[in-house]
Amino acid sequence: MCMRTLGIDLGSREVKIAVMEDGRIVNKSRVSTMTFYREYCSFDGKILVDLSKLEIDKIDKAVSTGYGRNNTDLRMFKAINEIKAHVYGGIYQTGLKDFILLDIGGQDVKVVRVEKGIITDLDLNEKCAASCGRYLENMANVLEIPLNSMSDYYDNPVELNSTCAVFSESELIGKIAEGINIKRLCAGVNYSLYKRLKPLMSNFKGKDLIVTGGVATNKAVKHYLERDYENIISVDGPQFNGAIGCCYYGESFL
Amino acid sequence: MKEDNILKKIGLTTTVPVEVLIAAGYRPVDLNNLFITSDDYSKYIETAERDGFPKSLCAWIKGIYGACVENGIKEIVGVIEGDCSNTKALAEVLELRGIKVYPFSFPQSHRKEDVEVEIKKFMDIFHVSYEEVEVVRKKLNRIRKLAGELDRLTYAHDKVSGFENHLYQVSLSDFNGDADEFEKELETFILKVKKRDETCKKVRLGYIGVPPMTIDIYDFVERFDASFVYNEVQREFAFPRCEDASNIYEQYYDYTYPYDVNYRIKEIKKQIEDRRIDGIVHYTQAFCYRAVENIILKDKLNVPIINIEGDKMNSLDARTKLRLEAFLDMLGDLKEVSCV
Repeated sequence: MCMRTLGIDLGSREVKIAVMEDGRIVNKSRVSTMTFYREYCSFDGKILVDLSKLEIDKIDKAVSTGYGRNNTDLRMFKAINEIKAHVYGGIYQTGLKDFILLDIGGQDVKVVRVEKGIITDLDLNEKCAASCGRYLENMANVLEIPLNSMSDYYDNPVELNSTCAVFSESELIGKIAEGINIKRLCAGVNYSLYKRLKPLMSNFKGKDLIVTGGVATNKAVKHYLERDYENIISVDGPQFNGAIGCCYYGESFL
Repeated sequence: MKEDNILKKIGLTTTVPVEVLIAAGYRPVDLNNLFITSDDYSKYIETAERDGFPKSLCAWIKGIYGACVENGIKEIVGVIEGDCSNTKALAEVLELRGIKVYPFSFPQSHRKEDVEVEIKKFMDIFHVSYEEVEVVRKKLNRIRKLAGELDRLTYAHDKVSGFENHLYQVSLSDFNGDADEFEKELETFILKVKKRDETCKKVRLGYIGVPPMTIDIYDFVERFDASFVYNEVQREFAFPRCEDASNIYEQYYDYTYPYDVNYRIKEIKKQIEDRRIDGIVHYTQAFCYRAVENIILKDKLNVPIINIEGDKMNSLDARTKLRLEAFLDMLGDLKEVSCV
């Protein structure tokens, strides 16, 4: 009999689900947050997740994490702190015990220092979305270009100086009107996100940086981060890092 | 012992051979304790800054200065070697303010002969003999032994909280100004705690570094099922190995705080083992060179270690609380596994 552990990360944009079987991830899936609550959950004092609808069965342990601890109160699930979930995900996926972890999600950014496998420092930006994935989505919409394509460009970025994500949109439109080419506009958007991350990262200097969350797929942002760290470490399915961390936690500690 | 007149107060900036001062008829007052236990602690810092101490300077130095000036302390012992260079400059400023400063050094060579030379110089300054000092030492060692018992009740029997352990041991730097009274207080406290039930916490922590400005750290960690079972420097102030020393020179040789970090680490490692410590909180004061030593401590100690920094506030800030919470949370996970 193998041990099956379910991990769920309730993000602001998507719910990420992972299943671990004896230390190996065997299943990963995503659903939009709204769909998850509407289609797969019912409520009887606590939220009950319908695993059969998710086509998941034979689960021995279930662990959840998410955006704000109160949102993770699922029946039958052990809820854990999201920062810890991401750190365990990082440890499981890289085998490292000493690193800086940068998780850029849809609406928040976390940066964590891990030493000897334990969190020793952390900082969060959950008050402003201008350094998060949602900002990139909006800007890609303005440029009418797929998000993935936008992330390819990093050379010669056009300067975007607004602190605010909304003002940045107007600034970008101004640059479009100036006739600046799309590559420089894309690079400018990516670079403006990196510039906003810089102050947050200033207390988190180190050698190895693990990048997770949706924005970890952004080539340009990682390119800029290479200036500040010796090694930028990517993981498979960076959006699933929190859910995988939940599985790892469940298998190791429950 | 010279008890012919009312005891004169003498301020201390750190632990020094207090036996010499008591033998000379002084009442030692640890200025650190005077500063931090006062409701006016921030006023003391303010006094120092008004007198020209920079913003970017250790709050202990400024607090000691304020406490000294505001409480009318006329004489102090200035440790000119073995403590930081800021203390040295502090002593010079106090001298400028008309305060009599008696020098003492913990020689950086850390050789027994050199320690002996320094203590002899100290005894000469205060005109006391070796024999007089030894009489005081034996008396104080009785109290130091009691502190050792209190420490054991902390880590071996879980009957004393981390804060109590801190408070009593740190008080041994000046015996709260009255050794007899302090001895009684300590005896009564020990009798009381022996009757307590053991309160075992899941995570056993060690506190290393200078005593905290942020004294609420002791209560804070207990909210996460953790407690401090080791207070490194406070324990050193209490001289836990005093009974192994055959004289005052040996006693102040076998002392880690003012000497090099590797000597300190040897003792810390032993205590991590003996006390089954799961993780270390290394407290450093903002702008202090000891934060640099964290690089070595982190490397040499084989348990997780978190470096937190205090400045002028006497309570933990929200960010430090968040960091400690995350650290303790993960230590708790590891403990869960090792308990199985």
